[in-house]
Amino acid sequence: MLELLKIEYKKIIPYTTFWVIFGLVFTLTPIVFYGIGQFKIQGLPVDMASTYRFPDVWNNLTYLASWFNLLIGMCVVILVCNEFSFKTFRQNVIDGQSKADFILSKILLMTSFALFSTLYLLVVGALFGFISSKSGDGLFFKDISYLAIYGIQALGYMSIGLLIAVLIRSTALSIIIFLFSILIESILQFFVPAPFDKYFPMEIIANLTPNPIVSSMMNQVNQGAIQGVQPPAIFEQIPLSATVGVAIIYILVFWSVSYFILTKKDIR
Amino acid sequence: MAAVLNINGISKSYGKVKALTNLSLQINQGEVYGILGPNGSGKTTTLGILLDVLNADTGSFTWFGKAPCKESRRKIGSILETPNFYPYLTARQNLSLVCKIKHVNETEVDRVLSVVNLIGRADSKFKTFSLGMKQRLALASALLGDPEILVLDEPTNGLDPQGIAEVRTIIKDLTKAGKTIIMASHILDEVEKICSHVAVLKSGNLLTFGPIQSVLNSQESVFVAANNVETELLKLCLSQIDGVSNIKQAGNKFFLMLVQGKDSAYLNKALFEKGIVATELGIQKPDLEANFLALIK
Repeated sequence: MLELLKIEYKKIIPYTTFWVIFGLVFTLTPIVFYGIGQFKIQGLPVDMASTYRFPDVWNNLTYLASWFNLLIGMCVVILVCNEFSFKTFRQNVIDGQSKADFILSKILLMTSFALFSTLYLLVVGALFGFISSKSGDGLFFKDISYLAIYGIQALGYMSIGLLIAVLIRSTALSIIIFLFSILIESILQFFVPAPFDKYFPMEIIANLTPNPIVSSMMNQVNQGAIQGVQPPAIFEQIPLSATVGVAIIYILVFWSVSYFILTKKDIR
Repeated sequence: MAAVLNINGISKSYGKVKALTNLSLQINQGEVYGILGPNGSGKTTTLGILLDVLNADTGSFTWFGKAPCKESRRKIGSILETPNFYPYLTARQNLSLVCKIKHVNETEVDRVLSVVNLIGRADSKFKTFSLGMKQRLALASALLGDPEILVLDEPTNGLDPQGIAEVRTIIKDLTKAGKTIIMASHILDEVEKICSHVAVLKSGNLLTFGPIQSVLNSQESVFVAANNVETELLKLCLSQIDGVSNIKQAGNKFFLMLVQGKDSAYLNKALFEKGIVATELGIQKPDLEANFLALIK
């Protein structure tokens, strides 16, 4: 297992595109996060001053970072499509890897990406949190589960990327389909009756990092802070714990389907 | 001799096109087996199936007497069609990656790069290579770990005349070292120069196979004429000489085959002992191309 992961990193460490994407994600995340906290939005019942503070920082930061997760997913699309367009997947098999090794390698690689970005957010969140929170308020660990769920989301987007790449094989087309899958999904959702329309993969995976503004409004509605307002149907969501469960099932399905496609198809 | 590869009735179709029909073949240790056939005859499909990148529709094969697995593929050095490497990695980085996959010591990288004359460009990126250099790198990669078996699909494809000669020398050295080589080619001359055995494919069917001399009639024939005696007498005398076969008459000349170990001097001497002085005696090179074309018609 470790050998497979080592081989994967041997492949990508000299690859410029990989560094550009992760460089972009890792520099933009803290900069944009800082910028958001400086906004003042009139009329919203949200206290922007608490953006960086524990425990809000975890929900806020992971929600922002979820947008960059799409970039990480795109990175996986590119890396996997490369293996087809360079015909190196074929060569790896000829040289002595199995098709299962290929999928396992990519799963290990994606898991390591998810771990790195989660750890990175832990550091960024901790820095923002400790600088702006009053010391000793002891809220560091409260809601830190958002981070773990963010990691699952990263893995989710990457797994969709893997499946699309294995299906389509052409880099340009795969990236387009990956980025438009949210749009494609919302069109499909239109034809599917409730409550099933809430269980589409992109939506489930996106909902792993709930919009903090919506959640805080929902909280206030539930607590009766805003009287007489029924939450609009569009904000009705499945509980986060159920979303996590469904997302994990989706991830396992994406892996299995990718493996199935690879074993059935000839490697041209 | 132990069988290295056993193919039992492999068939493969791409949609309606039958690429390979019920191919069976056994290749033994130390044989240099040429797979010969025109374009689209199923050579690459055969090798692709043997290397597990294509799934056969029916039939089976074994390497080293075992069902195909990744471990047996690691012991085979292969070139299949185009050289496939990561373009942004250097030659050395690409090969060390293959070493990891093949579980081969990375000290092999420099050795194989020297063999194919690429050591000077070891740290250049693959994408900067010319087609010939890419082909050499593919051969280098196949040589990693000094495998006992090499599967080479048109190994001299895209090389300049000097490169072709170099690659042929490398392959000949490998045959001398007792390696088993399976080589697909549509270049008859190449197969004739390198291979000990040959299998001829046409539209996915195995036409014939066996030692190259018997399949392609590649043995040299001898022609003889004696204008001072009756042709009938010459014919009779020739047929009485030990080791002479396949006598064919063309005008007043006779073409014949000699068993291995006998040469034209032997024939001359034998005729002289029978009181016949040859006026013409020579060696006729076999027309492999004509034989081959007749075969695949």
